[in-house]
Amino acid sequence: MYALLLPGLAFLLLFKYTPMYGILIAFQDFNIFGGIGGSDWVGLAQFEKLIHSSDFMNVLINTLVISLYKIVILFPIPVLIALLLNEVKRMFFKRTIQTVIYLPHFLSWVIISGSFITILSPAGGLVNEIIRSFGGHPVSFLTDNQFFRSVIVFTAGWKETGWNAIVFIAAIAGIEQEQYEAAAIDGAGRIRQMISITLPGILPTVVLMFILRIGSLLEAGTEQILTMYNPLVYQTGDVIGTYVYRLGLGQQDYSFSTAVGLFNSVVGFVLVLSGNMLSRKFLNRSIW
Amino acid sequence: MRSKTIGSLCFDAGIYLFLTAMGLITLLPFANVLSKSVSEEWAITSGKVGIFPVGFQLDTMKFVVTSSQFLHSLLISVIVTLVGTLLSLLITAMTAYPLSKRELPGSGILIVMFIFTMMFSGGIIPNYLLIRQLGLINHLGSLILPALINVFNMLVIKSYFESLPESLEESAKLEGARNYTILFRIILPLSAPVLATIGLFYAVSFWNDYFNPMLYINSSNLKPLQLYLQDIVMNADSSSLNRSADDLMNVPAEGVRAATVIASTVPILLVYPFLQKYFIKGVLIGSVKG
Repeated sequence: MYALLLPGLAFLLLFKYTPMYGILIAFQDFNIFGGIGGSDWVGLAQFEKLIHSSDFMNVLINTLVISLYKIVILFPIPVLIALLLNEVKRMFFKRTIQTVIYLPHFLSWVIISGSFITILSPAGGLVNEIIRSFGGHPVSFLTDNQFFRSVIVFTAGWKETGWNAIVFIAAIAGIEQEQYEAAAIDGAGRIRQMISITLPGILPTVVLMFILRIGSLLEAGTEQILTMYNPLVYQTGDVIGTYVYRLGLGQQDYSFSTAVGLFNSVVGFVLVLSGNMLSRKFLNRSIW
Repeated sequence: MRSKTIGSLCFDAGIYLFLTAMGLITLLPFANVLSKSVSEEWAITSGKVGIFPVGFQLDTMKFVVTSSQFLHSLLISVIVTLVGTLLSLLITAMTAYPLSKRELPGSGILIVMFIFTMMFSGGIIPNYLLIRQLGLINHLGSLILPALINVFNMLVIKSYFESLPESLEESAKLEGARNYTILFRIILPLSAPVLATIGLFYAVSFWNDYFNPMLYINSSNLKPLQLYLQDIVMNADSSSLNRSADDLMNVPAEGVRAATVIASTVPILLVYPFLQKYFIKGVLIGSVKG
């Protein structure tokens, strides 16, 4: 048995736990030639720099704002879709819609960004042609700080809304049919049934998914933003993940960006743990 | 059957309308990009292309798919996806099997150690430094090895193994089969549905991976498709960023960008219908776990 575990264990130690040891460079003035052993220790200096850095504060605010927009606007839609799909009795229509709305989940962010850059282009993009035909002025969505976040939230919704509905569709499938029959005999209409049976039936799943979502509050979509943004919208679009990438690998400021990354990991960890605690307390259900 | 009242009909109409709108919103961007990839250049630049192509030509598409860098990147992506998926499935199953045996000493601690990495990680820079230290920069191993086990996938396979009847293994053991034989001859053949699902998830993530190649690959020889595509997308974007005239000369036309996006999407579109039944099952397995 242990022989079977060897490759998995080697993977775990090398690729998951060794980088955790690498976190030490957040407390150093890391020098790539000296390595961790040969670099000077600076204690919490990197974290003091972080707290006083206006760049970091801006990035933190961007992360929270984008993430909260995504939660408030995008979380309810998959629940609504699942509720409505459940009311559709024509299997062909239901399947077609499901097939179509799941699809974007399987495309990469690069492909999706490429498509939306084309569609939103100020020079001949579909959206701007529509704006123009109504007599408006074309908008450069991806280089304008006023619009960038909306584009990020919309495209994230476009990619994952359908896929996120699956778990609620599965939860609805688990509701006992007798409840509907009993309700129908009591004279409950379909809207009444939806509100009084289906919705309470999936409520635990909804709350659980919500807690999970809060746990990744600091993940505002690094890969998505990396494929869409440019220096003109750093002011509103730069999030923790992209900032760590730019600073660490672009400017080789390894120690400082590791400190930012550590901040991110620790806060994320605390959020997930508190979420799990809440879930255990109120739902009697642990996430793992 | 529920009776059809006028209210009920309106309700239905509203639902169909809403869901159809959702479907259209999902499809329209594809239609637009597809149209641009086969429309005439003048129609694209003057903004005439909406949902349907204006004029028709396949030269742009031909230019894109016969470009040597495109073909090369496609090959790299196929290799990474195939090797990565097979290796991942193998190692993930080999890890999940012992961990599915609660009586195995130490399995509890190991499971906690795996789950911990779902919530806490070293972050981008320590990962990068590790890959560098291992000499994997500009090596395809950097795209496969760090992603060999996805802990969530491992837990799904583990819970599936736990649901298999114990008696199967016991009888094999009585006949002298070793753990290795039991896993490969008995357990894995019984686990086809979950392996297909998780295999699909691995394949999609290897195929779509853009972040790791961006960190670890800078030789154009080893660029996977997503990274190549990103070069095209970002390059074309420079037209809106007031770059120098020199840069603008190299900017691929809008049509080329659209055609590259379409050409990179086709492989997924081809396998998607066949795999659909599996992933729905897979999500169910994952969510029932609880």
